[in-house]
Amino acid sequence: MNPKFTATRRGFLGGSAALMASAGLWYPKKAFAAAPERKFLFCFAGGGWDTTTILDPHFDTDGVDMDPDTVLGEAGGVRYTSGMDREPVDDFMEKWHRRIAIINGIDPRSVGHDSGTQFMLTGTSASSYADWPTLLAAKSTVEYPLPHVVFSGPSFAGTMGSAVVRAGGGTLLSLLDGSINGMSDQPAPVSSPPIDDIVDDFVYKRVADYASQQQGMARERAEGLLANIERSMELEGRQFEAGLDDLGNSFLDQALKATEMFRLGLSRCAMIRIPGGYDSHGNNTVQAPAQVAYYQALNEVMDHMSKTPGHTTNWLIDEVTIVAMSEFGRTPKLNGGGGKDHWPYNSVFVAGAGVKGDQTLGYTDGSLIAEPVDFKTGMPSSSGDYLACDNVGMAICKIGGLDPSKLLPGVQVFDALLPG
Amino acid sequence: MRNLTYGIAAAILSGLTLGGCAQDEETDSRVQVLDARGQLIRLSVDLRGRHPSEEELRFVEDAAELGDERFNAAYEAYADRWLGEGAFVDRMVEVFDQRFLMQTGEVYFDPGEVGLDIDDRVMAEMIANEPLQLLRYTIDNDLPYSYMVTADHSMANPEIALYWGMEYPEDGQGGWEPATYVDGRPHAGMLTMTTTWQRYPSMGGNANRHRANAISKMFLCDDYLARPIVLNRAAVDQLTIDPENAIQGNQSCQSCHSTLDPMASNFYGFFNYDAEDGIDQTMYRPENEEEWRDYSGKEPGYYGTPTANIPEFAQALAEDARFTQCAVRTVWEGLTQRTLVDEDWEELAPHRDAFESNNMNVRELVRSIVLSDEYRADKALEPGLQERLAGRKVASPSQLAGIISDVTGYSWFFDGRDGLVDNAEGIAVLAGGTDGQYVTTRSYIPSVGTAFVMERYAQAAAFNVAEYDLDPNREGSAQLLFFVTVEDTPDNNPEAFEEQIRYLFLATTGRPLPEDATEPQELTDLWRYVHSVEASPVVAWSAVLSAVLRDPAVLFY
Repeated sequence: MNPKFTATRRGFLGGSAALMASAGLWYPKKAFAAAPERKFLFCFAGGGWDTTTILDPHFDTDGVDMDPDTVLGEAGGVRYTSGMDREPVDDFMEKWHRRIAIINGIDPRSVGHDSGTQFMLTGTSASSYADWPTLLAAKSTVEYPLPHVVFSGPSFAGTMGSAVVRAGGGTLLSLLDGSINGMSDQPAPVSSPPIDDIVDDFVYKRVADYASQQQGMARERAEGLLANIERSMELEGRQFEAGLDDLGNSFLDQALKATEMFRLGLSRCAMIRIPGGYDSHGNNTVQAPAQVAYYQALNEVMDHMSKTPGHTTNWLIDEVTIVAMSEFGRTPKLNGGGGKDHWPYNSVFVAGAGVKGDQTLGYTDGSLIAEPVDFKTGMPSSSGDYLACDNVGMAICKIGGLDPSKLLPGVQVFDALLPG
Repeated sequence: MRNLTYGIAAAILSGLTLGGCAQDEETDSRVQVLDARGQLIRLSVDLRGRHPSEEELRFVEDAAELGDERFNAAYEAYADRWLGEGAFVDRMVEVFDQRFLMQTGEVYFDPGEVGLDIDDRVMAEMIANEPLQLLRYTIDNDLPYSYMVTADHSMANPEIALYWGMEYPEDGQGGWEPATYVDGRPHAGMLTMTTTWQRYPSMGGNANRHRANAISKMFLCDDYLARPIVLNRAAVDQLTIDPENAIQGNQSCQSCHSTLDPMASNFYGFFNYDAEDGIDQTMYRPENEEEWRDYSGKEPGYYGTPTANIPEFAQALAEDARFTQCAVRTVWEGLTQRTLVDEDWEELAPHRDAFESNNMNVRELVRSIVLSDEYRADKALEPGLQERLAGRKVASPSQLAGIISDVTGYSWFFDGRDGLVDNAEGIAVLAGGTDGQYVTTRSYIPSVGTAFVMERYAQAAAFNVAEYDLDPNREGSAQLLFFVTVEDTPDNNPEAFEEQIRYLFLATTGRPLPEDATEPQELTDLWRYVHSVEASPVVAWSAVLSAVLRDPAVLFY
């Protein structure tokens, strides 16, 4: 064997980085290391969920049409909609309420599907802004091979596209293990790992050299490629350890896979679509089964995380924050067709690490209209402010250790979500 | 090629020049432009989706040695030549679909319901092609861009004509032809296509407002939903009780709805009633055109001008200055990979003038952009512009496919479809592209998906090239491995290895390696190692070529 290629990949990367650094060229900004950093599992119910189905119950008013046979459920400080068909939700809330915060009365700033999604996830309508999981992944202090994995659901990469990996359809895995070469119309054999490694090393060096010669945006793009070649090399080496041969199809499978990637330090954030047809203009009875199934699955995920060692904590549940949302809520009253239309007040479910649990925050009145709240306590207050998607987003980013003043300057953080 | 070069030479002699620009030296321009090769590579990738030939690159390089004027004339002549190629129209479809978002993979209902035995993916592409073929028709025939909304026909092939209920011309050759609907609808290009209103549906209380906003987004670059509004408590209460009257009575609501609702009122013939019946939703009903009276109550119009029908609305839309600006912005953003900000309007002004003075001709608009210094820039000299200008652009998935297949002769097809053009495999999105529905803006910073796509595509192409080129019994000429045979090794023919590796870089990146480059030796070492493991010259050359195909100069241009 040529001694040139006997060095390990990590050795090469370290060596080349040191060489480039000494020459004033590019070198990696972050190190692969285990640092105590929270991970985030984002779940998105596309179509616009009915907030009254679970998160924002209203039984003392004629202004809201609640589902039949439902009652107010309470678990500690968490108030939710219970009922005959909601037993899994009762189980879930009873078991985990100390880690759960529900936030109601959030202004999504739009009741259009696309723009509502963008507002809820980025706080703005500007395409250059990345969504919360992308921000958290891109601005982390630790290098992750797959910083933000989009299993399914929306993604707004803004100018931070290099942090986002879309895993859809299993194609990422076929690319990772090379099996895609055998699937094409003119197939090619899968390259063996040692050969892959030395070719990767050569390419890495070429790209590093190229990046060092660029300026401004061109350099940013080239460095993005360089960082991601490094990530791809890391992943190729760890694909079997991480069980990346199958990302799963159901919400539960994908959520468990995401937690495994968190555990191994492969990812900081994941986005998974919550199954269900939530755009219930014609029939609102589709909401409950889909939302109940979500909490049933989430119960298993939380259970799993409570028994699984974390990446940087004793148990994964102390390291992972779960955020569930939709693009907007639905009207308080049923329309003539038994459905509910788009509504400009929304709810967000947050649970896990860094969250001040046992709380129901924000407030909507008997017409499902938000009232001002004190951002420190989350309780209604005539001297408070109306709560909007960007206030909640900044709180989530703060849980992740980011400085909100540097992300959306001037936006007030909804601090009630965080422990004092 | 010889004829082309003569043609370019003639153009130079005829004195064609660009406005003063220079290569590799500072001028009074706001930018420093790329060198001759870099400029021609960028031009070719943008207009044709592939690199120029070495002969073309040498030609402009030689012209550059004779001075800026000669170089500029050569560059301009190539631009004119390539603007006339079919590949240019493909590129424009890609650029404009970033605005239209038509390629979603949706079929809306089972093709079997109208007797079509067609794979859903094929059908989805046909559906998306109804508006995109009109764009091709418009550009191919040098028609004004406004034809997109004023054409008195749609476009169809026999299958889409059957699917949507159009009359395919009797003398049609089976391909895409101008065609008309027969359900009584008026024709106004994209504004009366079933595809458009399936892509942007509306029903119930939405009252066609989604469609009006889609028109605003696609043709005016103005998204009503992006406008900030503040509603007081009373307004929200009223919205709960009686939304239509609240919209009409509240000033905040009216800031959008005073113009949005009259636009929406033009389209009640397309309003959907049966959400469960796919075919029913494709129908136009002339008898429903007046139904706006039962919804918003706002007469059909366009920003204060009453409109009697959709063609009148389309005419007003096409005459709006913002229609022109939006087209210019769409092309400029697509070609420069920049997001327009207020400071850029001055830079866009000459392109808008060129577009307007040439009857909204898309070729003339593109010509104006690609001849500008800012387009050809390597770097910005103005601090403000430095933050906005992309000195290197990132090839889109389809451009990447074009570049690599042009060099290697290999296309990454899956079930007969290009994996980097068709998104069924999800490869295009992983490589930074869009899917028209969930991922609607391109990513210009390569992700780990891009890194994997480049790696695997390069491996597949490299293996197929090496297997063919090194076959002693192959019938045609080699694709890339001209200098070595299956018998050659670094020991018995080192000169051939050096020459071959240098040629691979030149053919793949469009740039020769420097004389003192270490890459030939490094890749020769790589060849030795792989050969020692696999004992196969094909695998060894595959590894070498795959490394070259992943060069950053392939992805960045």
